[in-house]
Amino acid sequence: VATACHEADYGQLMRDYCLSQFQASMEALGPRLWCDWEETLGTYGELTNCTALLAERLACFWPNRLVDEFFVAVHRRYFGGCPLSGRALRDPPAAVLCPFIALPVVGALLAAALVVWRSKRGEGIV
Amino acid sequence: MLSVSYNVSLQKESTMKKTTHSCFLLIILLIRMVPSLTSTVNYTDPTLEPVVTENSVIRQKIIDSQFKCYERMNRAPPYRKKGLFCNRTWDGWLCWDDTPAGRITAQNCPDYFPDFDPTERASKYCDETGNWFRHPESNRTWSNYTLCNSFTSEKLKMAFILYYMAIVGHALSITSLLISLAIFFYFKSLSCQRITLHKNLFFSYVLNSMFTIAHLIAVVPNPGLVKRDPVSCKVLQFFHQYMLGCNYFWMLCEGIYLHTLIVVAVFAEEQRLHWYYLLGWGFPLVPASIHAVARAKYFNDNCWMSVDTHLLYIVHGPVMAALLVNFFFLLNIVRVLVTKLRDTHRAESNMYMKAVRATLILVPLLGIQFVIIPWRPENRLAGEIYDYIMHILMHYQGLLVATIFCFFNGEVQGALKRQWTQYKTQWGQRRREHCSTRSTSYTATSITEVPVYLYHHDSNNEQLNGKYIDDSELVALKSGETSA
Repeated sequence: VATACHEADYGQLMRDYCLSQFQASMEALGPRLWCDWEETLGTYGELTNCTALLAERLACFWPNRLVDEFFVAVHRRYFGGCPLSGRALRDPPAAVLCPFIALPVVGALLAAALVVWRSKRGEGIV
Repeated sequence: MLSVSYNVSLQKESTMKKTTHSCFLLIILLIRMVPSLTSTVNYTDPTLEPVVTENSVIRQKIIDSQFKCYERMNRAPPYRKKGLFCNRTWDGWLCWDDTPAGRITAQNCPDYFPDFDPTERASKYCDETGNWFRHPESNRTWSNYTLCNSFTSEKLKMAFILYYMAIVGHALSITSLLISLAIFFYFKSLSCQRITLHKNLFFSYVLNSMFTIAHLIAVVPNPGLVKRDPVSCKVLQFFHQYMLGCNYFWMLCEGIYLHTLIVVAVFAEEQRLHWYYLLGWGFPLVPASIHAVARAKYFNDNCWMSVDTHLLYIVHGPVMAALLVNFFFLLNIVRVLVTKLRDTHRAESNMYMKAVRATLILVPLLGIQFVIIPWRPENRLAGEIYDYIMHILMHYQGLLVATIFCFFNGEVQGALKRQWTQYKTQWGQRRREHCSTRSTSYTATSITEVPVYLYHHDSNNEQLNGKYIDDSELVALKSGETSA
C-alpha cells in the first residue's frame, strides 16, 4: 500500500457518513428494540461494512485503532444498557432448562418403577 | 474443520452429549468441510485484509463476535497495571484484551472457516513499545492465525476415515441384526419371552442404524440442505433421538425382565409383556418430543445439528438414568444369584447366571461411552486412538448386541447345528435315494437317529423352558419317519 492512511479524514468520514446512516436506522427502530439483536443485526452489519469500505477507499487497514474507538463509542451510546449476553443461539436460562431436563429423567425413573411394579403383580400367573 | 470442531467439542466440559453425538460432530465437521465454504482470507499473505466473506453464515458469526468484542471493550475496566501495554482491540476475527508490553498473548482459533481448527491457538505479540506487532512486509497490525489451518489436511483425512467407519459400523450392525432376527423368527424352538424382548431390542437397533445412516449420507455431506433447513431434516433428527431412546430403554426392559424373573418371581415363567412394550417403544417418545419442542422454541438451529446445547440432555438424561437403573438391577440379580440361590437352586442358578452374563456384559459396554467421553487425551496420537475407540464403541453397538445376544448364545448355536445336520442328512438321503436301493436307506436311518440323541443330551444343559426338549424329541420322530 503506497499512500498512507489519513487518519483524521477517516475518523471524520466515519462519523459524518457511516454513523449518520446508523443513527437514522436506529432512531427509526426505536430505543426499545436497540437490545434486540435480530432487529439491529442488519444495521450493525451495514455500519461495519461502511467503515470497512471507507477504509479501503482511503487506503487504511481495517480494522484499526480509530475503528475500535468508533465502535466502542457506538456501543456506549446504543448498547450500553443491554444485557451482556451472546447474540448467537443460546440455551434458555437455567430456570427453564432444568425443568426441561428434569422432567424426562424423573419420567424415565417413574416409568421403570411402574414396569417393575406391574410385572411383579402379573407374576402370579404361571 | 472436521476434526477441528470435533475435537473442540470433545474437549469441552459438558461432554456426555458430545459423546453420543460425535457423529453429529462429524456431521458438523463434514458440512463445514465441503469446498463451498472456503475461507476467502489469505492469512498467510498478511497484506490482504480480513474482509468479511459473502457467505452470510460466516459473516453473521464474525459480526456477532465483533459485537461481543466491542461490548467487552466498552464495559471492561481500564488497564490498571503499571508499564506499557497494548490497547484492547478487534483485529477482524478475534478480540484481544489489554496486554502488557513484550508479551505474546494467545487464544483459541475461531471456527468461522471450514479449515480452521478451534483447538489450535492464534497468537498476537505486543512489542516493547506498547504497540501491537506489525507484519514487516505490509506494516499492518497482524495476528498470527497460521496454526489454525496448518494441520487441517491430516485432520480432514482422519475425519473422513471416522465418517466411513461410522457408516460401515452401522451397515454391519444392520446386517448382523437382520440375520439374528431371521434366526429368531425361523427357529420357533427358541421362542420364549426373553427372545421376544431380544427381537424388539434388535429391531430398535436396526431402525436406529437406518436413521443414522440416512443422516450421515443425506444431511452431513450436504450443506445446501442444511442451509435450506427443511422440516424433513428436523423430523429425521426427531426420529433419531427417539430411536436412541428406544435402544437404551429396551436394554432396560431386558434388565427389568431378568430382574423380575430371577429376583422377584424366582423362575416363574409368564409375565405380561404389555408394560415392556410400553416402556420400550412408548416412553422414548416423551423425551424426544420434549427435546423437539424445546429445540424449536429456544435453540432452533439449522436441522437441529448443533451439539453445543444443554438441551440435548433432555434425551441423554433419561438414557443415562435408564443405564444406571439397568446396571443396579443387574448387580442385584448377580447378588441374588450368588448368595441366595447358590445353595437352594444350584442348577437353575447356573442357568440364569448364563442368561444374565450376556446382559451384564452388554450394559457396561453400552454405557461406558458416557463415562469416558469427558476425558479425551490432549496428546495428538492418544487423542486419535481415543477417537477410534469411541467410534467403534458407538457405531458398532448393533453388531455387538447381535453377537452377544444371538451368535454367542448356546441355544442358538445348538439350534443352528441341529438344522445344519438335518440338512446334511437330508441331503445325504436324497443322494442315496437317487442312486441306490432300499438297503442303503436303512443304514441312513440308523445314522440319523444318533445325532438327534446327542442334541437331546446337550439340550438338558441349556434350556430356559421345556420347549427345547419337546422340539428335539419331535425332530427325532421326524427324522425317524423320513428315513424309514
